[in-house]
Amino acid sequence: MVKDDNKSEIRISPPTISSLLSDDIDQRTLSPLSCLREFETNWLLEFDLPLVNKNDIKITINENSISVEAKLKESYLEEKLGVKTKFEYFKKTLTLPRKIDDKKTTAKFNKGRLTIKIPKAASGHKIQIR
Amino acid sequence: MQTSKKVLKEKILLVGFPSNGLVGTFTVSYLIHNLEMSQIGEIEHPDLPPTLFVEDGEILPPIRIYKKNNIFVILSDLPFDPFVAYDFAESILDYSKKNQIKKIIIISGMETVNRDPKTPKIYGLVTHKSLEKLLYDFRISKFLAGSIFGTDAAMITSFRKSQIPALILYSECHPFFPDPEASITAITTLARILDVKIDTADIQKKIEWLRIQHRNLMEETIRSLQQEKKVGRPPQIYR
Repeated sequence: MVKDDNKSEIRISPPTISSLLSDDIDQRTLSPLSCLREFETNWLLEFDLPLVNKNDIKITINENSISVEAKLKESYLEEKLGVKTKFEYFKKTLTLPRKIDDKKTTAKFNKGRLTIKIPKAASGHKIQIR
Repeated sequence: MQTSKKVLKEKILLVGFPSNGLVGTFTVSYLIHNLEMSQIGEIEHPDLPPTLFVEDGEILPPIRIYKKNNIFVILSDLPFDPFVAYDFAESILDYSKKNQIKKIIIISGMETVNRDPKTPKIYGLVTHKSLEKLLYDFRISKFLAGSIFGTDAAMITSFRKSQIPALILYSECHPFFPDPEASITAITTLARILDVKIDTADIQKKIEWLRIQHRNLMEETIRSLQQEKKVGRPPQIYR
Protein backbone atom coordinates (compact mmCIF):
# COMPACT_ATOMS: atom_id res chain seq x y z
CA MET A 1 0.00 0.00 0.00
CA VAL A 2 1.26 3.41 -0.89
CA LYS A 3 0.27 6.78 0.37
CA ASP A 4 1.23 10.16 -0.97
CA ASP A 5 2.35 12.08 2.12
CA ASN A 6 1.72 15.53 0.74
CA LYS A 7 -1.76 16.01 2.20
CA SER A 8 -3.57 18.13 4.69
CA GLU A 9 -5.65 15.20 5.81
CA ILE A 10 -5.14 14.38 9.47
CA ARG A 11 -7.09 11.19 10.04
CA ILE A 12 -8.94 8.57 8.09
CA SER A 13 -11.73 6.36 9.28
CA PRO A 14 -11.91 3.64 6.66
CA PRO A 15 -15.13 1.92 5.78
CA THR A 16 -16.65 -0.39 8.29
CA ILE A 17 -16.34 -4.06 7.50
CA SER A 18 -19.94 -4.76 8.23
CA SER A 19 -21.60 -3.41 5.10
CA LEU A 20 -21.95 -6.78 3.42
CA LEU A 21 -23.66 -8.17 6.44
CA SER A 22 -26.07 -5.28 6.25
CA ASP A 23 -27.22 -5.93 2.68
CA ASP A 24 -30.95 -6.45 3.08
CA ILE A 25 -32.27 -9.25 0.88
CA ASP A 26 -35.91 -8.69 1.90
CA GLN A 27 -35.78 -4.98 1.09
CA ARG A 28 -33.54 -5.59 -1.97
CA THR A 29 -31.13 -3.02 -0.53
CA LEU A 30 -27.33 -2.98 -0.83
CA SER A 31 -25.09 -1.32 1.73
CA PRO A 32 -22.67 0.97 -0.16
CA LEU A 33 -18.99 1.28 0.69
CA SER A 34 -18.23 4.50 2.53
CA CYS A 35 -15.35 6.24 4.25
CA LEU A 36 -14.97 9.19 6.56
CA ARG A 37 -11.86 11.36 6.61
CA GLU A 38 -11.06 14.11 9.06
CA PHE A 39 -9.49 17.37 7.92
CA GLU A 40 -8.52 20.45 9.89
CA THR A 41 -11.84 22.24 9.49
CA ASN A 42 -14.21 19.60 8.16
CA TRP A 43 -15.09 15.94 7.77
CA LEU A 44 -15.28 14.37 4.33
CA LEU A 45 -17.72 11.51 3.98
CA GLU A 46 -17.73 9.51 0.75
CA PHE A 47 -20.12 6.87 -0.56
CA ASP A 48 -19.43 4.67 -3.57
CA LEU A 49 -22.69 4.67 -5.53
CA PRO A 50 -22.14 3.10 -8.96
CA LEU A 51 -25.19 2.60 -11.20
CA VAL A 52 -26.92 5.58 -9.62
CA ASN A 53 -28.19 8.87 -11.11
CA LYS A 54 -27.73 12.08 -9.14
CA ASN A 55 -31.48 12.75 -9.04
CA ASP A 56 -32.18 9.38 -7.41
CA ILE A 57 -30.15 10.09 -4.28
CA LYS A 58 -31.73 11.19 -1.02
CA ILE A 59 -29.56 12.46 1.84
CA THR A 60 -30.93 13.10 5.32
CA ILE A 61 -28.76 14.61 8.02
CA ASN A 62 -29.19 15.63 11.64
CA GLU A 63 -26.65 16.39 14.32
CA ASN A 64 -26.13 12.71 15.17
CA SER A 65 -26.44 10.76 11.95
CA ILE A 66 -26.61 10.84 8.18
CA SER A 67 -28.63 8.56 5.89
CA VAL A 68 -28.12 8.03 2.18
CA GLU A 69 -30.64 6.25 -0.02
CA ALA A 70 -30.26 5.80 -3.78
CA LYS A 71 -32.19 3.94 -6.43
CA LEU A 72 -30.12 1.89 -8.88
CA LYS A 73 -30.73 2.74 -12.53
CA GLU A 74 -30.60 -1.00 -13.31
CA SER A 75 -31.30 -3.94 -11.01
CA TYR A 76 -28.22 -5.71 -9.68
CA LEU A 77 -28.52 -9.50 -9.45
CA GLU A 78 -26.44 -11.28 -6.83
CA GLU A 79 -26.52 -14.76 -5.40
CA LYS A 80 -26.09 -14.95 -1.64
CA LEU A 81 -26.09 -18.35 0.06
CA GLY A 82 -27.82 -19.89 -2.93
CA VAL A 83 -30.53 -17.25 -3.08
CA LYS A 84 -30.62 -15.00 -6.14
CA THR A 85 -31.70 -11.48 -5.27
CA LYS A 86 -32.41 -8.50 -7.48
CA PHE A 87 -31.16 -5.47 -5.60
CA GLU A 88 -32.81 -2.14 -6.44
CA TYR A 89 -31.43 0.33 -3.87
CA PHE A 90 -28.40 1.44 -1.89
CA LYS A 91 -29.06 2.45 1.70
CA LYS A 92 -26.81 3.27 4.65
CA THR A 93 -27.02 5.25 7.88
CA LEU A 94 -23.89 6.37 9.71
CA THR A 95 -23.30 7.98 13.08
CA LEU A 96 -21.61 11.34 12.70
CA PRO A 97 -18.74 12.74 14.75
CA ARG A 98 -19.67 15.24 17.46
CA LYS A 99 -19.54 19.01 17.06
CA ILE A 100 -20.44 19.35 13.40
CA ASP A 101 -22.24 22.14 11.59
CA ASP A 102 -24.96 20.14 9.81
CA LYS A 103 -26.57 23.32 8.40
CA LYS A 104 -23.48 24.11 6.31
CA THR A 105 -23.04 20.59 4.97
CA THR A 106 -22.63 20.32 1.18
CA ALA A 107 -22.69 17.35 -1.22
CA LYS A 108 -21.30 16.59 -4.68
CA PHE A 109 -21.87 13.62 -6.95
CA ASN A 110 -19.36 12.72 -9.63
CA LYS A 111 -18.75 9.43 -11.48
CA GLY A 112 -20.83 7.47 -9.02
CA ARG A 113 -19.12 8.84 -5.93
CA LEU A 114 -21.02 10.95 -3.44
CA THR A 115 -18.83 13.34 -1.45
CA ILE A 116 -20.32 15.09 1.57
CA LYS A 117 -18.37 17.87 3.22
CA ILE A 118 -19.37 18.41 6.83
CA PRO A 119 -17.84 21.48 8.52
CA LYS A 120 -16.76 21.20 12.13
CA ALA A 121 -18.62 23.48 14.52
CA ALA A 122 -16.53 26.30 15.87
CA SER A 123 -15.85 25.71 19.53
CA GLY A 124 -13.56 26.75 22.34
CA HIS A 125 -12.75 30.15 23.81
CA LYS A 126 -9.78 32.49 23.78
CA ILE A 127 -7.24 32.50 26.58
CA GLN A 128 -5.41 35.70 27.30
CA ILE A 129 -1.66 35.59 27.83
CA ARG A 130 -0.57 37.61 30.83
CA MET B 1 10.89 2.08 -28.91
CA GLN B 2 13.65 -0.47 -29.00
CA THR B 3 13.09 -1.46 -25.41
CA SER B 4 9.74 -3.11 -26.15
CA LYS B 5 11.28 -5.61 -28.58
CA LYS B 6 14.05 -6.40 -26.14
CA VAL B 7 11.59 -6.77 -23.27
CA LEU B 8 9.37 -9.03 -25.35
CA LYS B 9 12.07 -11.67 -25.75
CA GLU B 10 12.72 -11.82 -22.03
CA LYS B 11 10.60 -13.72 -19.58
CA ILE B 12 8.55 -11.24 -17.59
CA LEU B 13 6.45 -11.92 -14.52
CA LEU B 14 3.43 -9.75 -13.69
CA VAL B 15 2.09 -9.81 -10.14
CA GLY B 16 -1.33 -8.64 -8.96
CA PHE B 17 -2.99 -8.91 -5.56
CA PRO B 18 -5.74 -7.01 -3.71
CA SER B 19 -4.50 -3.59 -2.57
CA ASN B 20 -5.54 0.07 -2.92
CA GLY B 21 -8.59 0.34 -5.18
CA LEU B 22 -8.08 -3.34 -6.19
CA VAL B 23 -6.02 -1.96 -9.08
CA GLY B 24 -3.65 -4.95 -9.22
CA THR B 25 -6.50 -7.45 -9.16
CA PHE B 26 -8.51 -5.73 -11.92
CA THR B 27 -5.47 -5.12 -14.13
CA VAL B 28 -3.98 -8.59 -13.97
CA SER B 29 -7.34 -10.39 -14.22
CA TYR B 30 -8.17 -8.39 -17.33
CA LEU B 31 -4.81 -9.18 -18.93
CA ILE B 32 -5.26 -12.90 -18.27
CA HIS B 33 -8.70 -12.78 -19.83
CA ASN B 34 -7.76 -10.55 -22.76
CA LEU B 35 -4.53 -12.37 -23.67
CA GLU B 36 -6.24 -15.76 -23.15
CA MET B 37 -3.49 -16.94 -20.81
CA SER B 38 -3.47 -20.52 -19.50
CA GLN B 39 -3.28 -21.47 -15.84
CA ILE B 40 -0.10 -23.48 -15.26
CA GLY B 41 0.13 -23.68 -11.49
CA GLU B 42 -0.75 -22.37 -8.07
CA ILE B 43 0.93 -21.15 -4.88
CA GLU B 44 -0.11 -22.57 -1.51
CA HIS B 45 0.59 -21.17 1.92
CA PRO B 46 -0.30 -22.85 5.23
CA ASP B 47 -1.17 -19.51 6.87
CA LEU B 48 -3.74 -18.51 4.28
CA PRO B 49 -7.33 -19.25 5.23
CA PRO B 50 -8.50 -22.35 3.37
CA THR B 51 -10.30 -20.82 0.41
CA LEU B 52 -11.31 -22.03 -3.02
CA PHE B 53 -13.27 -20.26 -5.72
CA VAL B 54 -15.62 -21.99 -8.12
CA GLU B 55 -16.09 -20.49 -11.56
CA ASP B 56 -18.32 -22.22 -14.12
CA GLY B 57 -18.00 -25.42 -12.10
CA GLU B 58 -14.19 -25.24 -12.07
CA ILE B 59 -12.33 -25.16 -8.74
CA LEU B 60 -9.82 -22.33 -8.57
CA PRO B 61 -7.14 -21.91 -5.88
CA PRO B 62 -6.75 -18.34 -4.53
CA ILE B 63 -3.18 -17.79 -5.83
CA ARG B 64 -2.72 -18.89 -9.41
CA ILE B 65 0.08 -18.83 -12.00
CA TYR B 66 -0.67 -18.17 -15.68
CA LYS B 67 1.52 -18.12 -18.78
CA LYS B 68 1.44 -17.18 -22.42
CA ASN B 69 4.61 -17.04 -24.51
CA ASN B 70 7.19 -15.10 -22.48
CA ILE B 71 4.64 -13.54 -20.10
CA PHE B 72 4.04 -15.13 -16.71
CA VAL B 73 1.40 -13.93 -14.26
CA ILE B 74 0.84 -14.54 -10.56
CA LEU B 75 -2.59 -13.43 -9.39
CA SER B 76 -3.90 -13.59 -5.84
CA ASP B 77 -7.60 -13.22 -5.11
CA LEU B 78 -6.86 -13.07 -1.38
CA PRO B 79 -5.45 -10.05 0.44
CA PHE B 80 -2.49 -10.77 2.73
CA ASP B 81 -1.51 -9.78 6.21
CA PRO B 82 2.13 -8.56 6.48
CA PHE B 83 3.53 -11.89 7.65
CA VAL B 84 2.15 -13.82 4.68
CA ALA B 85 3.27 -10.99 2.39
CA TYR B 86 6.96 -11.72 3.06
CA ASP B 87 6.48 -15.40 2.31
CA PHE B 88 4.51 -14.51 -0.81
CA ALA B 89 7.40 -12.32 -1.99
CA GLU B 90 9.90 -15.13 -1.35
CA SER B 91 7.69 -17.62 -3.22
CA ILE B 92 7.57 -15.25 -6.19
CA LEU B 93 11.36 -14.92 -6.17
CA ASP B 94 11.88 -18.69 -5.94
CA TYR B 95 9.51 -19.21 -8.83
CA SER B 96 11.20 -16.47 -10.84
CA LYS B 97 14.68 -17.95 -10.33
CA LYS B 98 13.54 -21.43 -11.33
CA ASN B 99 11.89 -20.08 -14.48
CA GLN B 100 14.66 -17.65 -15.51
CA ILE B 101 12.39 -14.61 -15.17
CA LYS B 102 14.34 -11.48 -16.06
CA LYS B 103 11.95 -8.80 -14.83
CA ILE B 104 9.07 -8.60 -12.39
CA ILE B 105 6.30 -6.02 -12.67
CA ILE B 106 3.97 -5.50 -9.73
CA ILE B 107 0.76 -3.59 -10.37
CA SER B 108 -0.72 -1.68 -7.48
CA GLY B 109 -2.70 1.40 -6.54
CA MET B 110 -1.55 4.67 -5.04
CA GLU B 111 -3.77 6.47 -2.62
CA THR B 112 -4.38 9.98 -3.86
CA VAL B 113 -7.30 11.86 -2.45
CA ASN B 114 -7.12 15.04 -4.48
CA ARG B 115 -6.21 13.59 -7.86
CA ASP B 116 -7.52 14.91 -11.13
CA PRO B 117 -10.37 12.47 -11.81
CA LYS B 118 -10.17 13.04 -15.58
CA THR B 119 -6.75 11.48 -16.01
CA PRO B 120 -5.47 9.04 -13.42
CA LYS B 121 -1.71 9.04 -13.49
CA ILE B 122 0.71 6.17 -13.24
CA TYR B 123 4.02 6.14 -11.40
CA GLY B 124 6.91 3.70 -11.46
CA LEU B 125 9.33 2.62 -8.77
CA VAL B 126 12.27 0.38 -9.63
CA THR B 127 14.33 -1.83 -7.33
CA HIS B 128 17.41 -1.80 -9.57
CA LYS B 129 18.88 1.07 -11.61
CA SER B 130 18.90 -1.13 -14.71
CA LEU B 131 15.13 -0.62 -15.01
CA GLU B 132 15.24 3.18 -14.92
CA LYS B 133 15.63 3.26 -18.70
CA LEU B 134 12.32 1.46 -18.98
CA LEU B 135 10.62 4.30 -17.08
CA TYR B 136 12.20 6.78 -19.45
CA ASP B 137 11.40 4.82 -22.64
CA PHE B 138 7.75 4.39 -21.73
CA ARG B 139 7.34 7.86 -20.25
CA ILE B 140 6.32 6.62 -16.83
CA SER B 141 6.72 9.22 -14.08
CA LYS B 142 9.11 8.15 -11.37
CA PHE B 143 7.57 7.73 -7.92
CA LEU B 144 9.63 10.26 -6.01
CA ALA B 145 8.28 10.54 -2.47
CA GLY B 146 5.76 8.87 -0.19
CA SER B 147 5.35 6.01 2.26
CA ILE B 148 5.09 2.34 1.33
CA PHE B 149 3.93 -0.26 3.81
CA GLY B 150 2.27 -3.63 4.01
CA THR B 151 2.35 -6.11 1.16
CA ASP B 152 4.03 -3.74 -1.30
CA ALA B 153 6.80 -2.92 1.20
CA ALA B 154 7.39 -6.61 1.91
CA MET B 155 7.73 -7.33 -1.80
CA ILE B 156 10.04 -4.41 -2.49
CA THR B 157 12.23 -5.27 0.51
CA SER B 158 12.67 -8.83 -0.78
CA PHE B 159 13.13 -7.86 -4.41
CA ARG B 160 15.74 -5.21 -3.64
CA LYS B 161 18.01 -7.94 -2.24
CA SER B 162 17.41 -10.19 -5.22
CA GLN B 163 19.20 -10.36 -8.57
CA ILE B 164 15.91 -9.95 -10.45
CA PRO B 165 14.92 -6.32 -10.98
CA ALA B 166 11.35 -5.30 -10.32
CA LEU B 167 9.18 -2.41 -11.44
CA ILE B 168 6.26 -1.42 -9.26
CA LEU B 169 3.58 0.37 -11.27
CA TYR B 170 1.39 2.56 -9.10
CA SER B 171 -1.83 3.84 -10.62
CA GLU B 172 -3.56 6.72 -8.86
CA CYS B 173 -6.79 5.48 -7.35
CA HIS B 174 -9.33 5.80 -4.60
CA PRO B 175 -7.87 3.72 -1.77
CA PHE B 176 -11.09 2.51 -0.18
CA PHE B 177 -13.37 1.95 -3.16
CA PRO B 178 -12.86 -0.48 -6.06
CA ASP B 179 -11.36 1.61 -8.87
CA PRO B 180 -11.47 -0.23 -12.23
CA GLU B 181 -10.97 3.10 -14.01
CA ALA B 182 -7.53 3.42 -12.44
CA SER B 183 -6.70 -0.09 -13.63
CA ILE B 184 -7.34 0.95 -17.24
CA THR B 185 -4.37 3.31 -16.96
CA ALA B 186 -2.27 0.39 -15.70
CA ILE B 187 -3.53 -1.92 -18.47
CA THR B 188 -2.63 0.51 -21.26
CA THR B 189 0.81 1.14 -19.73
CA LEU B 190 1.47 -2.60 -19.43
CA ALA B 191 0.32 -3.16 -23.01
CA ARG B 192 3.00 -0.72 -24.16
CA ILE B 193 5.71 -2.33 -22.03
CA LEU B 194 4.80 -5.87 -23.12
CA ASP B 195 4.25 -4.77 -26.71
CA VAL B 196 0.85 -6.45 -26.89
CA LYS B 197 -2.52 -5.17 -28.07
CA ILE B 198 -5.13 -4.98 -25.37
CA ASP B 199 -8.60 -3.62 -26.04
CA THR B 200 -9.97 -1.95 -22.90
CA ALA B 201 -13.51 -1.50 -24.27
CA ASP B 202 -14.82 -4.46 -22.28
CA ILE B 203 -13.63 -3.21 -18.89
CA GLN B 204 -14.77 0.33 -19.70
CA LYS B 205 -18.31 -0.97 -20.23
CA LYS B 206 -18.26 -2.85 -16.93
CA ILE B 207 -16.78 -0.22 -14.61
CA GLU B 208 -19.92 0.37 -12.57
CA TRP B 209 -20.78 -3.32 -12.29
CA LEU B 210 -17.24 -4.19 -11.19
CA ARG B 211 -17.48 -1.61 -8.44
CA ILE B 212 -20.62 -3.23 -7.04
CA GLN B 213 -19.41 -6.80 -7.49
CA HIS B 214 -16.11 -6.24 -5.68
CA ARG B 215 -17.40 -4.51 -2.54
CA ASN B 216 -16.77 -7.69 -0.58
CA LEU B 217 -13.15 -8.08 -1.69
CA MET B 218 -12.52 -4.37 -1.12
CA GLU B 219 -13.67 -4.65 2.48
CA GLU B 220 -11.55 -7.75 3.11
CA THR B 221 -8.58 -5.93 1.61
CA ILE B 222 -9.10 -2.90 3.82
CA ARG B 223 -9.22 -5.17 6.84
CA SER B 224 -5.84 -6.64 5.83
CA LEU B 225 -4.35 -3.23 5.11
CA GLN B 226 -5.52 -1.96 8.50
CA GLN B 227 -3.65 -4.86 10.14
CA GLU B 228 -0.61 -3.96 8.06
CA LYS B 229 -0.78 -0.37 9.21
CA LYS B 230 -0.93 -1.40 12.86
CA VAL B 231 2.02 -3.75 12.51
CA GLY B 232 4.18 -2.13 9.90
CA ARG B 233 3.87 1.60 10.32
CA PRO B 234 6.24 3.52 12.55
CA PRO B 235 4.73 5.93 15.06
CA GLN B 236 4.16 9.45 13.69
CA ILE B 237 6.87 10.94 15.87
CA TYR B 238 9.58 9.00 14.02
CA ARG B 239 8.44 9.88 10.52
